[in-house]
Amino acid sequence: MSIKWLLWIGLYVVMGVLVPWATALSWAHQHGSELRPRVRQLFKRGELGLVGLVVVISVIWNLLQSQFMQQTIALAAVLLAVIGTMAGDVWIESYSRQSTGTAWNSERTWRDSRNFTFLVFTMALVVEILLDRFAKVAAL
Amino acid sequence: MSAPAPALAKARGPRVIVRLADAAVTVASLSLIFGLLLVLFPVSFPRIIVTSWQKGYLVVVMMVLTLVLDAFLYLRAAYLRSAKPTILVAACLGSLPIIVVGGLSFLMESAVAQTIAVDLPNMQARLNEEVLAHTYLGLVSAVFLPFLVIRLLQQFKATS
Repeated sequence: MSIKWLLWIGLYVVMGVLVPWATALSWAHQHGSELRPRVRQLFKRGELGLVGLVVVISVIWNLLQSQFMQQTIALAAVLLAVIGTMAGDVWIESYSRQSTGTAWNSERTWRDSRNFTFLVFTMALVVEILLDRFAKVAAL
Repeated sequence: MSAPAPALAKARGPRVIVRLADAAVTVASLSLIFGLLLVLFPVSFPRIIVTSWQKGYLVVVMMVLTLVLDAFLYLRAAYLRSAKPTILVAACLGSLPIIVVGGLSFLMESAVAQTIAVDLPNMQARLNEEVLAHTYLGLVSAVFLPFLVIRLLQQFKATS
């Protein structure tokens, strides 16, 4: 079985999570700062949800290019869009709470965005596997 | 007239507030298991699903599985927050997975009928892949959507 979907999802993890973290470390080093942010601190306002949203958009685009029946494409696209929106909403809620001075719990925001991003990534992975399988069947 | 004794006042425990992030972890684990089974058993796992669909078991198995998962998630949330489960939410969780799986099974039949009608080459394999995709999407929907509905209802109730 091809592992291109694994490379594809790995690209999002690297570009969406590891590169920003490495850039923050590099910035701190360049400016002689003591700042050593962990991934958790860097994404504490729910920014991981935004990474999830970007992944979802890409999967929906791939679905639209596929030869699955329109019912399947519609169901998968709507489901992914709902979950992606919920992931992005964690950041929106965190931003709104902080901006208005409403009670905000960084621990909870981090946990929610992490859980939703985990869901988005696993769903994206399975949908990409299904797309890969279908592309092989359609090519025969 | 004396004030009512505290012991006679009805003690109301905290309500179970459903958090979507909790359900998200379970759905993600389900996705991960489904994905791993597809990767490790690329032939036999889809065959089991297609065979059970052909024999008419698939929808029933999906209903039972999603009901058990939803009930487990709800009871776990109630236990963690030391709250008492409410009948309304329990009724919602009991019916919504069945409604979702039932509704999506019609969608799957429609996709299957269209695949047959279009008559593309390698039809049987395409049909199997459609069934596989609908099984996965049905499972995820039936576990996640009931919690989304309950969460939105709770939010609406809290703000109104």
